[in-house]
Amino acid sequence: MIIDKKTQKYDRQLRLWQASGQTALETAKVCLINGTATGCEILKDLVLPGIGSFTVVDGKIVEGSDVGNTFFLVSDSIGTNRAQAVTEFLQELNEDAKGFHFSEDPVALIENQPEYFLQFSIVITTDLPEKPLLKLADTLWNAKIPLVIVRTIGFIGYFRIVLPEHTVVETHPENVIDLRLDVPFPALEQYVNTFNFETLDSMDHAHVPYVVILLKYLKQWKQDHDGKLPSTSAERNEFKQLVQSGRRNVDEENFDEALASVWKACAATKVPHHVEEIFKNSSCDSITIESSNFWIIARAVRDFVSNEGLGLLPLAGNVPDMKADTSNYVAMQNIYRQKAKEDISAVRTRVHDILNSIGRPAEFISDDEIDSFCKHASFIQVIRYRSLQEEYITEPKKLDIGRWLQDPQANIVHYVLIRAMDRFYESHNRYPDAATYFLEDDTEEVSEEAKNEFNTLKTYVDNLLREWEITNYPEHLDNHIHEICRAGSSELANIASLLGGMVSQEVIKLVTKQYIPMNNTVIFDGVRSTSSSYIL
Amino acid sequence: MAEIQMQTDVPTPQDGLEQTNKKCPDRWSHLYKILDRRGPFADPSFTPGHGEEILLNTCKVLVIGAGGLGCEILKNLALSGFKNIEVIDMDTIDLSNLNRQFLFRPSDVGKPKAKVAAEFIMKRATDVKVTYYHGKIQDKDDDYYLGYQLIICGLDSVDARRWINATLVNLVDGEPERIRVLVDGGTEGFKGQARVIIPTITSCYECSLDMLSKQRTFPICTIANTPRLPEHCIEWASVIQWPKERSDIKMDTDEPTHIQWLYETALKRAKEFNITGVTYSLTQGVVKNIIPAIASTNAIIAASCCNEAFKLITNAQPYLNNYMMYTGNEGLYTYTFEHQKKPDCPVCGNERVSMEVSKEITVEDFIEYLQEKQDIQLKKPSLSHANTNEKIYWQSPPFFEQKTRPNLEKKLIEMVKQDDEITVTDTTLPISLQIVISYI
Repeated sequence: MIIDKKTQKYDRQLRLWQASGQTALETAKVCLINGTATGCEILKDLVLPGIGSFTVVDGKIVEGSDVGNTFFLVSDSIGTNRAQAVTEFLQELNEDAKGFHFSEDPVALIENQPEYFLQFSIVITTDLPEKPLLKLADTLWNAKIPLVIVRTIGFIGYFRIVLPEHTVVETHPENVIDLRLDVPFPALEQYVNTFNFETLDSMDHAHVPYVVILLKYLKQWKQDHDGKLPSTSAERNEFKQLVQSGRRNVDEENFDEALASVWKACAATKVPHHVEEIFKNSSCDSITIESSNFWIIARAVRDFVSNEGLGLLPLAGNVPDMKADTSNYVAMQNIYRQKAKEDISAVRTRVHDILNSIGRPAEFISDDEIDSFCKHASFIQVIRYRSLQEEYITEPKKLDIGRWLQDPQANIVHYVLIRAMDRFYESHNRYPDAATYFLEDDTEEVSEEAKNEFNTLKTYVDNLLREWEITNYPEHLDNHIHEICRAGSSELANIASLLGGMVSQEVIKLVTKQYIPMNNTVIFDGVRSTSSSYIL
Repeated sequence: MAEIQMQTDVPTPQDGLEQTNKKCPDRWSHLYKILDRRGPFADPSFTPGHGEEILLNTCKVLVIGAGGLGCEILKNLALSGFKNIEVIDMDTIDLSNLNRQFLFRPSDVGKPKAKVAAEFIMKRATDVKVTYYHGKIQDKDDDYYLGYQLIICGLDSVDARRWINATLVNLVDGEPERIRVLVDGGTEGFKGQARVIIPTITSCYECSLDMLSKQRTFPICTIANTPRLPEHCIEWASVIQWPKERSDIKMDTDEPTHIQWLYETALKRAKEFNITGVTYSLTQGVVKNIIPAIASTNAIIAASCCNEAFKLITNAQPYLNNYMMYTGNEGLYTYTFEHQKKPDCPVCGNERVSMEVSKEITVEDFIEYLQEKQDIQLKKPSLSHANTNEKIYWQSPPFFEQKTRPNLEKKLIEMVKQDDEITVTDTTLPISLQIVISYI
């Protein structure tokens, strides 16, 4: 077997999201509104790993300042359509990604033909004013297409994900061990009973898997304690003594491993709280022809738990490495795997029954998808984002913003400034831009114009705070107003690239449905080199 | 924090600068907003309006590594106004680099990374001068490193980082004007870190060795006798079977036919033991110790490094003090903190290290202990008695190795008394460590 060129090229990323993630990426169609420095950096990090296609919508003509901060332009690009110019340079990065450009003013396009954007699997905006943004967000929300809103101003970066719901099965948790030590299933119990510690020679005794050791002594403990597990720390210590008493010498590493896992063994196996919450969701109650695969399988697993699962999720079936000889280890591994298979098979039957009840064929959901869901059942995630309407108009997070703003180190201040800047733009058709900050011993002074600039932006900040019923004006806001005026909507290459990395990573998570995306806003502060996430 | 002296008087010719500016007016207008205006968070010593002279014309920056981080760093520096850049890298371009190292094309496979990267940047950003060196950082001397105001590292090797860190700390030699700031970035999958190291003033790379995740190793007896995981079978193929069956050929993990052989051999063993999961890809991952890498994380970390470099050189904002950690697999999270200097750091500390060891420990076991200790991790330690200069064990030259080899079996206590001091050096690292021994 010699692996193909494509697998070689993508090797370092396939180790993160496997072939299934790569296929999802390769079928995704991403749209970028405005080919700004930040926009191009986002696309660069999506074209390189092989996104299916990208389309740049931009009505602007390339200027010298664009060439200065964008790697995907040269001085010869000046005067040409920015959409086309950046698309051509981005296309050079990877022939697998197909690049398209549309030299049209996105604001007009959103106004006149918003359905244009429904052809994409994800839409990213940079540098888009508030009014068209709200309209685009509405259109995409109704079509359940993810929207990512991105802004960079000076040293500050902001981005927001807008999407009704995102479900993830392959969350890639770091530790997926589910050994059922407190509630061994019959096949596991039978296997443990085949061991007679007394008759083992010293070599075999030192190679009994620690899972067997623990189960053996837990059984003994339960017999002496009305079927209960050790629950208090005193009892756990007593139980450790019991395990220790079976040890023949200090070199038995399997006993070390057993003792180190006592705490875990005594913890009750149960459905994690966040999974119970997912089961309580109305999407899990009412399965219809509209239901997504995720919810259909979730319902089947819920029913499994309350029936043949005896209150537990399907077993994942993974066994960690432990001190053991090969045959014992492999035999034990097979017992866990067999049980996992049985659980999956039970869930599969339930999935097929549900599909049948809504008039779908059994093949509608593949066996692989059911397998994967069962193996990750303890780690599934459902993220419900807030809409932009809720954030901006119907239910702004007034109380939270007011509370967060009191901390001078909190990055929420940049959110307030960005919103104020957008208001400034609405009425002036440009962003604040002036040298408003001077030191006392500076020879220069603040010009009248600059003073006006500062005061105008501050008025918008005040208005916002009033709308949010925030009565005490945090003093540290003034400095941030100065900094925004200083930045003058400049886009620094470093911040653009940093945001490009962060946004592309979230896009990859959304498109592959692997790993857990952020919810719902991230703000990066390149002055302090800190970032924060907020649910706004 | 102490003031850092930045060397700003390096004259460099700027041929064609004027012409480019004419061709591309307003090119730096984004940068000049920041550089021409005072800001409330900038250091009071920041002088607006001097951007061009401090940044654009004179500053010399060295970039170590032209891989995933290096390509990003070079692009960011060129777009941030840096005009004098040198890049060092010893590698050549591989097909598996192309998913993130965006200065390279399929036709560049096999060519030196440093050369292709430098030429690409100069082609795209015409008035930037990027020189390159295709070779090892260890080939260069102190004067070479003193020639740069700032050094940015985008490396995937711990050893190379330790070397450059120790070299820059040793360079200072008590004279603050010899301080050269090191900005270091690293990534692994969706995680990474960026940090600013001001040699002798802030914590250094060596101070934080214990933060590295421990490399996964498998005991040789498991590999030989009780394999359980597919990884055990692969290690068996490469560590035990290759030397046995193919001792005449040197194993090259970049050679597909070699990986193929290891894969087939591991697969055979796995079948014999009923172990599942040996694949070609896993074989390659285990023997090459492959670390997953994507464009996104490299972009984040490289940009953070260059943002700090820009702030350090221009003073336009305060710089990072001194560590930012990044995690992106579950939500998006950064943690920015001041990593503390370790008083007994073997590179930048001035306190001696005290160690308690058993009276029974042999010289050989003590050496193994030094190699495994998470906060020291020496590669090839050589030991001498600090007071008498008597050699306890030297790894090289061969003459001394041979002469001191019999000592390996001796107990340490026979050569080093209670509270005596040992000097430890390492041929692979420019460091020397004083250890006071006490016995328990």
